[in-house]
Amino acid sequence: MPVKPPLHIAKEQEVKAAGFKPTPESEVKEKFLAKLDEMRSSMRSLMVMLETCTKCGNCAQQCHSFLGTNDYNNFPAARAELMRRVYKKYFTTSGKLFGRFAGAEDFDDELISKWMTYFYQCNECRRCAQFCPFGIDTAEVTITARHIMSELGIMPKFMAGIAANMEKTGNNMGIPRPATIDCAEFMEDEMREETGLDIKIPVDKPNSDILYIPSSADFFSNIDTMIGAAKMFHVLGVNWTISSKVLEAANFGLLFDFNAMQAQNLRLKEAALEVGASLVVQGECGHGWRAAKMYTEGSNGPVPFKIVHVLEYTAEHLAKLPLSKLPMRVTLHDPCNYARAGDIIEQPRQIIRSCVEEFVEMTPNREENFCCGGGSGILMDEMMEIRMQLGKKKAEQVKALGNLDYFAVPCSICKAQLPHVMKHYGMGSLSMGGVMDLVGKAMVFNKE
Amino acid sequence: MLYFIGQVFPYIAVGVFVAGLAWRVLSWLKVPVPFQLTMFPAPETTAGRIMTIGKQLGLFTSLYKSDRTLWFWAWIMHVSLAMVIGGHIVGIGYLTKQFCLIGFSPDASTALSIALGTISGLALFISLIVLFYRRTAIPEVKRLSDPADYFDLLLILAIVINGMHMRLPSVHCDLESIRAYIVGLVTFSPIPIPENSIFIAHFFLVNILLMYFPFSKLVHLVGSVVNRAMLVEAAPVYPTPAGVRRQVKFFAKEEYASETATSHSQGTGSKSSGV
Repeated sequence: MPVKPPLHIAKEQEVKAAGFKPTPESEVKEKFLAKLDEMRSSMRSLMVMLETCTKCGNCAQQCHSFLGTNDYNNFPAARAELMRRVYKKYFTTSGKLFGRFAGAEDFDDELISKWMTYFYQCNECRRCAQFCPFGIDTAEVTITARHIMSELGIMPKFMAGIAANMEKTGNNMGIPRPATIDCAEFMEDEMREETGLDIKIPVDKPNSDILYIPSSADFFSNIDTMIGAAKMFHVLGVNWTISSKVLEAANFGLLFDFNAMQAQNLRLKEAALEVGASLVVQGECGHGWRAAKMYTEGSNGPVPFKIVHVLEYTAEHLAKLPLSKLPMRVTLHDPCNYARAGDIIEQPRQIIRSCVEEFVEMTPNREENFCCGGGSGILMDEMMEIRMQLGKKKAEQVKALGNLDYFAVPCSICKAQLPHVMKHYGMGSLSMGGVMDLVGKAMVFNKE
Repeated sequence: MLYFIGQVFPYIAVGVFVAGLAWRVLSWLKVPVPFQLTMFPAPETTAGRIMTIGKQLGLFTSLYKSDRTLWFWAWIMHVSLAMVIGGHIVGIGYLTKQFCLIGFSPDASTALSIALGTISGLALFISLIVLFYRRTAIPEVKRLSDPADYFDLLLILAIVINGMHMRLPSVHCDLESIRAYIVGLVTFSPIPIPENSIFIAHFFLVNILLMYFPFSKLVHLVGSVVNRAMLVEAAPVYPTPAGVRRQVKFFAKEEYASETATSHSQGTGSKSSGV
């Protein structure tokens, strides 16, 4: 029975607006195979990971996507099979010699639909790699599959829209420079009202030592995260700025197309050079952190500045911050791209412990944590039902902790996904937000 | 026919095994690693990286964390297989007198050799059956399995049954003539294969396995090491230290609108990955 992708696919006009070239129906197979060939000879991970699976099935019980949806194709090894079977047919000796016996299958008309359906139900969380006996990282397969489809001009409408916004303004939400300045002033007013102090959020300030790259959502829905960071920089008395050129720690390119990833990453480099920063501080964004930390060198290296995460930076300067513990019981959700994929593991814990009276761990935690179910940018409204299934494990983890006053989720995608999940599973009253939000709220100012 | 099976085929089998495996592994290693795939927390020293990979190889640590039952049977299967292979080398090499080297009497050495071989063989036999059963019993694993997945297990199982058969007292198995035959093969002066049909079948199946190995999923033995090496690679350091260049041969892009030349930089990842 034919598979219909649950997401809206970008129309030809939208594909073009995002800078991609649509592929005529008759050329899809040929171009698809050429792309797959290119990718396997460009990425060792893809090649080895497609050729090393023994199909033990161990990953099934480790994947929140499979556990939440109960759909066979969402089990990591089965998801990778969607690529592996065609790959075997065209690029391996066993597939060429033994065909179906060795699990090789030809490209068929349904394959792209299946790819659009299931590679966009993988959150690229890498939990399967954590538990696979061979370390096979299905996220590598998903990332490549999305890249191949995008290069064929096949992508979700959602991704195409973000690519077009990025092209125009340098951020996902399409915020132009004047609006950025307005928002910064608004937040400065808020802070003045609260603290009586003149705490700045400098925009495009030349000769800055630090370039802070927030998530663009921190200008609208998550302003407390931005305020927390601004207060911290103020207390430390450092020379910092944000850049209207890269008002977005996120790099959606990583989530659908490597070339878009490289272009967005280049913005980071150019903006840092433009303001003369010797330190780039990445705001609360999961995959954006992975892109900055792990992909900058490969895409646009070498770079002359340091790159750290705002939680790393805050933890490092924790002793200098005047924090008073808030009477709260708080837990932390480790974003996949912080812990497993980004080495930000202990820092948020140190910070939260300094900001609140009681910190509790969910199980599992740290690098073994389950994904929120919204990761890798599948925040489309039309995916809501599936997103709730993907968030099931997370909801169970939180529920097991009993009463909480605050749920720290230091990643913009988690912040967009989890309120829906909590509401869906009957925990709608739980307040949640970033870790920097807590820093901002716990900070005490002497009004002189 | 016996001449071919005994004196020609083994060379073909070993040749295909060595060349096939080398070709397969080189085909992976020549592909660049454009971006580090480090999984955290990651070991920070070379010794730490070797330790991490070694522990995974020897103890299957990540499997232990997730599925204790599968871990148990998979580990038993692999360890008993390693014991069996090692046992063949020393047991045939020293005609079961290998334990004399560590102070056993000849009779005790033979008894111990037979006991160890029997236990390992039985453990291998049972674990293969359990793994085969598991493949059919878990619905999603069954759906995932191809004929080749069953074939791999059955091929090894057939070799094990054959080998265990030779342990039966009713089957006369002359180790000395087998050793002479193997020595002949290794020294490139092959002599006729001992005319023991069970041994011939056993030996022939091993040759088939050797030839099949590089082209099957059995290469996970090496693939897992290549994979793990990527997962423990050191993360990038910023500012980029002098001399480090990991500029990627960027993926071909067909743009619709502006045909502005994007950076199609030359060269591949020059920094090697892994340990």
